[in-house]
Amino acid sequence: MFMTNRISQLRCILCFLGGVLFFLGCSRELASETRLFSFTTSKGLVVKVLQDNDMPFIQAQLLIYLDGNSQNYTSLAISQLMAMNMFERELNSPPSNLMGMLQRQGNDYKVEQNPEYVKITMNFLPDRLAAFPKLLKEIFYYQSFHLKKFNQSKEKFWSLFAKNRDWKKEMAFLLAYQQMIGNFYFSQGLLLQDILNRINLAQLRSFLLTTFRPDNALLILKGKINPYFILGMIEKDLPQPSPRQSKTKKEGITLNANRKIFVLNVNSAEQPAVYWFDAAPAVTDVSYLPYVIGNIALFGFPGGRIYQSEKNQFSMAGYKVNTETYFLKKFTVFCNYLRLKYNDLENFLLLVDQERRKFVVRPIERKEYLDALNYYIGRAQVETSRFDYDLQAEIDRFHSQGMGALAQPIGPQIFQEVSLNRVMQVMDEQMGSRHRSSGREKGIVVLIGNANLIFNNLKILKTEALEISMD
Amino acid sequence: MIKAWIFCWCLVIPLVPISAQTVTVSSFELPNGLKVILAPSNNMQAAAVCVYHMQGARNDPADTRGISYLYQYLMFDGNENLEPYDHVLFVNKMGGIVSGRVNYDNAVFFETLPAQEINVALWLESERLKSLRLQDANIDYHKNQIFNRINRLWESSQNFKAQTWVSSKVFEGSAYEYPLYGDLNKIRFLSNDRIRENYRNFQDLANILLIIAGKFDINELRAGINKFFQDIPPGRKPSNPVFSAHNQRKSFLLKNWMIEGLKRNFVVYGIKAPAKIGYNFMYFDFLRYYLTDPRFARLDHVLNIVNKLDVEIESSFTDYMEANCLTIQISASKRINLEKAKYVLEKEFQALSSNPISNSDVRAVRSMMEIDFLKSMVSLEERCLRIGEFFHMFGELNFFDVQLKRLRKITSYDIMESAKKYLVKENQVVLNVYDK
Repeated sequence: MFMTNRISQLRCILCFLGGVLFFLGCSRELASETRLFSFTTSKGLVVKVLQDNDMPFIQAQLLIYLDGNSQNYTSLAISQLMAMNMFERELNSPPSNLMGMLQRQGNDYKVEQNPEYVKITMNFLPDRLAAFPKLLKEIFYYQSFHLKKFNQSKEKFWSLFAKNRDWKKEMAFLLAYQQMIGNFYFSQGLLLQDILNRINLAQLRSFLLTTFRPDNALLILKGKINPYFILGMIEKDLPQPSPRQSKTKKEGITLNANRKIFVLNVNSAEQPAVYWFDAAPAVTDVSYLPYVIGNIALFGFPGGRIYQSEKNQFSMAGYKVNTETYFLKKFTVFCNYLRLKYNDLENFLLLVDQERRKFVVRPIERKEYLDALNYYIGRAQVETSRFDYDLQAEIDRFHSQGMGALAQPIGPQIFQEVSLNRVMQVMDEQMGSRHRSSGREKGIVVLIGNANLIFNNLKILKTEALEISMD
Repeated sequence: MIKAWIFCWCLVIPLVPISAQTVTVSSFELPNGLKVILAPSNNMQAAAVCVYHMQGARNDPADTRGISYLYQYLMFDGNENLEPYDHVLFVNKMGGIVSGRVNYDNAVFFETLPAQEINVALWLESERLKSLRLQDANIDYHKNQIFNRINRLWESSQNFKAQTWVSSKVFEGSAYEYPLYGDLNKIRFLSNDRIRENYRNFQDLANILLIIAGKFDINELRAGINKFFQDIPPGRKPSNPVFSAHNQRKSFLLKNWMIEGLKRNFVVYGIKAPAKIGYNFMYFDFLRYYLTDPRFARLDHVLNIVNKLDVEIESSFTDYMEANCLTIQISASKRINLEKAKYVLEKEFQALSSNPISNSDVRAVRSMMEIDFLKSMVSLEERCLRIGEFFHMFGELNFFDVQLKRLRKITSYDIMESAKKYLVKENQVVLNVYDK
């Protein structure tokens, strides 16, 4: 009897130890993989949770769609003033409830705007997760507009706007976006004080009611999160939004990316910046990846044709061109940019034109193609070391209803999807002769710097360039 | 029995989050003395290789100050098998990133690249250590470049001049007294032979840590390290202890500069701050976050929102191991506003020394610091740097939990004590720069 008891006790202990080892093993296994949970709350807010148990803090990205609400002088000013009044730390007097909540949440947040959406990125510690839905509620049902703060935001607009951000790139992108899709064009200065002064608080309130709504937003959370817990909390804390006014159906976007050169006049001692914008297929499109590879073969550093030609033909200093991609709902914008000396400006612009033309005449060689593909795969792998690398892929997947090319993991299948022939075909479609109107290139070029110096250094392209002043 | 089971599981479950948060770091040493530190994380497809030199500008001999700063540029200038900048082009071509910098206490060179290419980074770094190209033409080119760049900055920027002066006074008598680039008038005349000779010390394996973070296969990695680094000759162990906190002299120093044609009057405060190896560093760092971090920006709030002085505030912090300096520059278009700002700043410092800050502010700043710390441990480059610095200072590898626990325990009284010690007038160097 005693012996049996001892054996059963020993069995229990062994079972327990086995269980512990199994549990810890499983938990480590679980800890190393990211799992996605998607929901739509009863208030219409789309929530995506990337559960990553290795991540020691939580990142939340809230996207509120503007849907073309920043495509004329007034609405652009309203949307910018709106974000400033709600989130600008320097305008927190009298203190607003939202700012207090953001501070308690850890104060680590950033607000970015592009013509399609406002993105609010917040990082906070896991113990603040329970307070997050209340913060969401405060954003969607913000009521702390204050006349004094509003007037200050108009007075100090430019100093606040230019603080801690690459405002030149933002302005250049706005201009290029307008050019590509609008039936309205910026021809005067951007965000002029006159226009800002005409905006009133009622316009901000009305803008808030129509755009800052749970059913017009996407929330993505990444970190060590129980998805059902957060969903329950959001359901509990978010009130039902007011009924939505029926939207006027918008016409489909017609892209018009014909070549134009804009000069934004800025008084600065820095070297001028050149931004070259191209409208490319949407991330959902089968042509997207071939376009990316083509763009790397053209602008990439150090293997791209432009870099190689710069060195050989113009004996320039070997400028490195950076590339940034804006993933929008219907299309993608590629922004290739660099800073260079005033006297190299025209040479560089002509060189880009020349290389783009040659791209179709002298097709991409196999080596160039493989180098570009290798670079793309390598860069995508390096990007996985950023804690937020998979959030953008989720946003794209949402915009594309699950068909995003970037949504797939990087692997050998990419070689099948992006053959050399396909790259050449897409580049021909995008940059070939039949897409040039009256022999002119595509692509919106924005030059930012001292306009006098820029025009003094443009000879052939002088007549093409249009000057727009900055306030 | 069931109760006993439940009790046991309750004991086990809390272990899981702890194990998920801890960053595991291990190390081994090659026969030639090279210390290798590994910080794996398998949830990514990238790896970072960092060569951490446990010496920097502070170790430059007095007659050749600025020599280490020169290496920052020479390091990318090719070697026996590579042409200038090939190193950068190699890594960039495969989608990777290269960076490097020389500081007072250390020098670090990084490659972040796809995990399967880690051997390329190891090869590139070993080439650099074995046969850096130190020919007269390269050295002369970089000496001139540095001279011209710093000289241009010196001629054109009053702020740069003022901050350099304040920094030299704050660090008087310490290893950080002279600028990183040494003496601008001597830099062009440094002997090239001395530069080559000194490089032997700079690349001495006994002073180097090879830190690898990210995804890797340990066996393949070990084979790669052996292959590329084992034939580098062993180094000489340094004899003296590495660091000790420097006691900065407590005396208030005030100076006025009158400059013709100055657009905005400004004042530069240099506040002597504790060494990174000291216990008080974290408390002072809290004060720095509280006063100057743009996310909290207490100074901005007090000067511009409460007192409406319309001043511009810029700040920087040195982050050195033996002594530190918090520089705050305040500029205003109206002189009267600048004088008021100085008065308000003094009162704010006094208030911090005599009254504890509110618990909600403590919580807010603490969580900002904690998020920043956690973010730095997630980024590969930052993680390598932190691990290297910690090992360099304390000879320990696993600091993550200790640092985090200390951070979470900061109270308002710790902050008040720190303010009493460091925000006093005797601890400041003040330079007023006025229009003549």
